[in-house]
Amino acid sequence: MEYKPDLAGDFDQLGRKYYKDLQRRNIVRLVLTYFAPLVILIIYFNIEYNAILREGKRLHLESIAENQSKTLDLFLSERLVNLSNLVDNPKFTIPPPSDTMEIYLEHLKRNSDAFVDIGFFDPSGVQAAYAGPYPLLEKRNYGNEEWYKNLKSGQDRFIITDIYLGFRQKPHFTIAVSRIIDGQFVILRATLEPDRIYEYITSLEGASEIYTSIVNPDGLYQLVTPHIGTLLESSSIVPPQEPRLGTDKVKIKGRDFVYSYSWLSRARWALIAQWSESRNESFFSGFRLQMFLISLIVMLGILIVIVFRARKLVRMQIESDQAKAQLEHAARLASIGELAAGIAHEINNPLAVINEEAGLMKDLMDPQFKTDTTFDDLKPHIDSIHESVFRCRDITRKLLFFVRKTDVTFKPHDIHAMIDGVVDGFLGREMAVSNIKIVKNYGANIPELTTDVHQLQQVILNIMNNAVDAISGPGQIKIGTTHENHEIRIAISDTGKGMNPDQMSRIFHPFYTTKGVGKGTGLGLSVSYGIVKNLGGKIVVESSLGKGSTFILVFPKD
Amino acid sequence: MADKIRLLIVDDEVKFLDSIAQRLEMRGLDVTKATNGEEALKAASVAQFDLGLLDLKMPGMDGKQVLEILKKTHKFIEVIILTGHGSLDSAVECTKLGAFNYLPKPYEIEKLLEILKDAYEARMRKKFELDMSRMEKIGQLAMGNSALGVLRALRELDNEEK
Repeated sequence: MEYKPDLAGDFDQLGRKYYKDLQRRNIVRLVLTYFAPLVILIIYFNIEYNAILREGKRLHLESIAENQSKTLDLFLSERLVNLSNLVDNPKFTIPPPSDTMEIYLEHLKRNSDAFVDIGFFDPSGVQAAYAGPYPLLEKRNYGNEEWYKNLKSGQDRFIITDIYLGFRQKPHFTIAVSRIIDGQFVILRATLEPDRIYEYITSLEGASEIYTSIVNPDGLYQLVTPHIGTLLESSSIVPPQEPRLGTDKVKIKGRDFVYSYSWLSRARWALIAQWSESRNESFFSGFRLQMFLISLIVMLGILIVIVFRARKLVRMQIESDQAKAQLEHAARLASIGELAAGIAHEINNPLAVINEEAGLMKDLMDPQFKTDTTFDDLKPHIDSIHESVFRCRDITRKLLFFVRKTDVTFKPHDIHAMIDGVVDGFLGREMAVSNIKIVKNYGANIPELTTDVHQLQQVILNIMNNAVDAISGPGQIKIGTTHENHEIRIAISDTGKGMNPDQMSRIFHPFYTTKGVGKGTGLGLSVSYGIVKNLGGKIVVESSLGKGSTFILVFPKD
Repeated sequence: MADKIRLLIVDDEVKFLDSIAQRLEMRGLDVTKATNGEEALKAASVAQFDLGLLDLKMPGMDGKQVLEILKKTHKFIEVIILTGHGSLDSAVECTKLGAFNYLPKPYEIEKLLEILKDAYEARMRKKFELDMSRMEKIGQLAMGNSALGVLRALRELDNEEK
């Protein structure tokens, strides 16, 4: 089965935290890399889409305003034609008799049920004949009315008035045509109900999402739905006179309000189209909602991929770290392998001593040799056996310490206890035999260092071994510790032969050794360098030829 | 006793040296001890040895060097190499240089005694063969030579053998 590192199980708390952090950093980096362009793209498309949408809506609104104003123009023209046809009839008499007026009205109503009544004005401005629901209006003088004066002045041959209440106190508007018949200035006029016109307009296409209204140049509503205003009251919208057709916006209660307008050619009216309230869609609707959902799904997909990718990256990192650790261990084993024959020698010699001492003791007790052996004769041989046994034990212990593979565990450690463990525990006897004096110069109040004690002890052992080799005879090794400038330093100085600059530049290279063939592997310092770097520190070397070398382990400590 | 086997043991491990020397002495050998190469050669320069027991790895002069010198200066000595080293390469190399055999440490005393016996027999055989050929040569020289000529020839033979 393929081995897969398990974040939860394979590491201690600190290792897990390190890899979790690494994973988090990877995810954030990937999310930024992949999402930033996507978000920018989404914002860009949203802006573009909004612009297109606005333009589309503007065109739509404008076309409705134009269409409906044209329809209304056409409607008004037809009504004018209806009226003109009556007065231009050769049979038209002045004044028309009232029963003829009734026939005229009926005729008009057949053309359009918007017609309410019809009236005839003699040259004095008096309504001489009338047919319709307001007979009281007959005989009234309209000579001072604006529309009458305009017609009389001969400016126009027809007129369509604004909507007004007039004598009858009911909203209506007037269309009138003037003629000179038999040298007399006469006017035929009809009034129409605006409601009919409004129904007509609002029944057109698109009217459900759009409100249409009609205002005069003064901004008074001529026709309006109760949703947005009241008839003959001021509208907040007063469209400009030029251009005749367009889209504009006004500020109503602090908000921009867009409308389209189109001025009629028959009347002094402008048709205004605006979006109804229900058309005021929310931000997330329709296409935008779709876009948003798709983006969300895509981003979610990317996020899942990113998380998996980041986990894979971390797993690869873990595998690489483990491979590195295995390599380190292999290097250590290789160096042991190279030393194996020598180590066998170290063990075989005391074994040979034991063998001979035991054999000798047997011989001494053997009757055939007829020795007169006492305990005192045997004692030195027994002591010798004991001594040899302990020599063997020390060698195997040292060996095991060196090759033992343990997981890297970071814990706070008292560095002095750790150094003592190496110096007294493993090197004491060798130092005594080699006539090397150890001087400990430990600083006071050195804080605990969070590190992997096993690895660090190996580094110290390596450096100490090198120091012993460099001294080769009577000498001194000084071990000092300091804590200053947020750094813990462990300095190991020897009084050995020292190094020249060329040697110093190469001591951390793998397989570089100054020791004899078979004695050194050239791996000790290169592996130590890797270990210290992994533990977050560095190794500083000072040396002068003939005087000795100093190796300083520097670890940051806040 | 004149017919005791004369043995030179060289080993830097003093305790080992003392014990094995005592044990071999108890078995009737005439043992001379040396703790390094220089000491061994010094002893060999003043006394004759039938056999040598050499430790291979020693400070200063190692067993191989001692072997080479001994074989040059002592015509009949047979040397057995002792080694505690894991690799037997250098011990085998020594047999090519003239060592009789080698023995990895630690070993059973019986095994050592057996090898010592074989080595001594080989040494004796070699000496016997040489003596025989010498006798033959002397016989050949004596025939048809003046007494003076025979004496001169014997001196040459002696010089050869040294």
